[in-house]
Amino acid sequence: MIALDFKHVWASYRGKPAVQDFSLQLNPGERWVLLGPSGCGKTTVLRLAAGFLAPDQGAVVLDNKTAAIDGRLILEPEQRGLGMVFQDFALWPHLSVHDHLAFGLKARGVDKAERERRIAETLRLVRLDSKVGARPGELSGGQQQRVALARALVTEPKLLLMDEPLSSLDFELGLELRREILALQERLGFTLLYVTHNLDEAFAIAQRIVVMREGAIVRVGSTAEIKASMPGA
Amino acid sequence: MFAKPATLTLTIMLFLGIGLTPLMALLVSSLSVDGAFSLDRYQYLWSSPKPLQLFGHSLLLAGLTTLIVTVLGVPLGILFGKCDLPWRTPFLVLFTLPLLIPPYFLSLGWFSLLGREGWLVRFFPDNPAGQPDCTVKPPEGCWAGIAQHESEAVARILADLLFGLPGCALTLSTVFLPLIILVTAMLLQTVNPHMEEAARLYASWRRVLFYITLPAIFPGILFMTLLVFMLTLGEVTVPLYLRYDAYPTEILTQFAAFYDFDSATATASPLALLAFLMLTAEWLGRRRAMPDLRPTETSLMIQSGLCGKLAVIIASGLALVIVVMPLGALGLYASLDDFSEAWTRGYDALLRSLLYAAIGASLLTVTGFFLGLLWRERTCCSGITQFTALLLLILPGTVLGIGLIGLWNKPETAWFYASPGILIMGYVIQYAALPGGILHAALTRLPPSLEQAAALSGAGWWRRLLLIVLPLSWRGLLLAWLVSYLFCLRDTGLAMLVYPPGEDTLPVRIYTLMANSRFGLVAALCTLLMVAALSPLAIFGLFRKRKESP
Repeated sequence: MIALDFKHVWASYRGKPAVQDFSLQLNPGERWVLLGPSGCGKTTVLRLAAGFLAPDQGAVVLDNKTAAIDGRLILEPEQRGLGMVFQDFALWPHLSVHDHLAFGLKARGVDKAERERRIAETLRLVRLDSKVGARPGELSGGQQQRVALARALVTEPKLLLMDEPLSSLDFELGLELRREILALQERLGFTLLYVTHNLDEAFAIAQRIVVMREGAIVRVGSTAEIKASMPGA
Repeated sequence: MFAKPATLTLTIMLFLGIGLTPLMALLVSSLSVDGAFSLDRYQYLWSSPKPLQLFGHSLLLAGLTTLIVTVLGVPLGILFGKCDLPWRTPFLVLFTLPLLIPPYFLSLGWFSLLGREGWLVRFFPDNPAGQPDCTVKPPEGCWAGIAQHESEAVARILADLLFGLPGCALTLSTVFLPLIILVTAMLLQTVNPHMEEAARLYASWRRVLFYITLPAIFPGILFMTLLVFMLTLGEVTVPLYLRYDAYPTEILTQFAAFYDFDSATATASPLALLAFLMLTAEWLGRRRAMPDLRPTETSLMIQSGLCGKLAVIIASGLALVIVVMPLGALGLYASLDDFSEAWTRGYDALLRSLLYAAIGASLLTVTGFFLGLLWRERTCCSGITQFTALLLLILPGTVLGIGLIGLWNKPETAWFYASPGILIMGYVIQYAALPGGILHAALTRLPPSLEQAAALSGAGWWRRLLLIVLPLSWRGLLLAWLVSYLFCLRDTGLAMLVYPPGEDTLPVRIYTLMANSRFGLVAALCTLLMVAALSPLAIFGLFRKRKESP
């Protein structure tokens, strides 16, 4: 079983090629990091996985089901059963922390008792149980990040996408949340596809790393292999 | 060093001074008898049941129109602003047309379709299409032409619907529908696409729109519904023509028919008070609502598919019925002879309208630029001027007109009152919120670093303004001028009250001629004004297209 499979994917954004002949297979429970400079197509790969974008050519396969192929979306984002944490957290300013977590569960028809149980459990997991009624504007940057993470985790996704989730936080907080993400991944066992341009962050998070440049894969390997291949390593 | 605070303070003082003094004059005049404080005028006015009844009629019309406009406008705004449909721009232009012309043109359009000499009658084969009375004004009980024929029943029903509340609501809904469509479509572009993407991971577009997108833009839509409500409440020409007794017509009656200016001020004041109260409630509510809407470079579009095609067909049908049919019928009604006569009888008013609108738009653009600079500062004073500008925008033109007359119709200021200056000042007071809002948005989008870099290079505030800010805001300035021009050109409510003797504008001239002229002549005059209004828009559209092409 393969959690996520990109098969010779080509994609463009605003008429410009963004991803070129991208092929990658993620096994369940692995932690992958897409590493590369800004504009190299990392986020486009996440958007292809989430279903916000269809590949011009090639296929995206999720759990052995074709999710998109040759310009066509077969599975809409809400049918893919995955979670995502955005760079700017993308919190909904008019909803409370509770309602952020309830949104996805309600949309998936989870009954109220089970919903409340999962919300309470997830909020405990990210240490936000005291902020259940707060709105995003009342939370600190770190708390907002945790809400975004909790929202992504509460639906128990098998695959979690994270788009530079620590880039808008200060260094200390970033380190703390990085440890929390690792702990959560090990505890819950989801597959993680994590985007960053920060080398230290990539090495700290990843089991395997994909280095991208100008929309194409330059190198793929384990963290140790990529570290060793770096100039001056 | 003092250039910026001095200029902005002057802007605040001038705008508040010029904008609020007519309202003060209105209030003072309505509350004084022989120089002493008195509530007599109000007591006299409200002792009769008529004003209350008229006020009820107006509230009903405004409520019904707002409901129709919101129910139709929000889905259409989503359709044109959020779905990847073909011909979105032509659709938007088509639905926007009624907003750019005087509202009563649409009533005339419907009359040209359904009236006793209208197209409907002409198309009935059994109708002799006789040529009875040729005036535009509908007769009492309304229906002469197609009676005694097979079409009588249908004609009567249509007439009853047109001349009364349904006709007024239909006309004004068509006029103000573009406000909701355009604002919804524009606000949708400001929603952070990541917020929608985060929701799309769990829910369909329908659910995302309902629970995430629409709540995010709700404050903007709410303000627009308030604007539509107040604009409908203050509208005078359509209810007058379609014989629906509404409150603002009472102001005109007191002023123009009974020559009782003091009663007119007492009649106008409740509308001003209502506008103030409604805007205050909306303003306070908006302050508490979530404001975190950022303009985004890309907004997430809905792949519309089959439902989208169906929606396009429905929208096309709606545009055909509420815009193309009445306006087309009006334009086609006039013969070449009518156009020739229309030019002879109306060219002076047309040229005056164009001149006043151009001068008004230019002054409004300058005012809007300084207001935009002020509103960018987000200070208490900028909030007060913003509130005042919005209040003046939603205030019925007749109310502002009465205020201006009360303030300037004095022996010592008669030179100004008898000049076009009073009308142009009225335009600037009433419509300043439009260019102000457009230029505020344009100026906010300019990265502050551009001005900071110029400041570090040694440029003073005025130099930065002239050499950096102005050239970079030219699109906003052009749009502000164009919008101001169109609103000045279409204005009827204000112009009816304050135009200088013998120097009426074309919308006022047409309205005057409607009572005793042939319908063909009126239709031709309306067409002339429509062409004058839409020409700059077409030129702007062509210019934009050429600039965008490689």
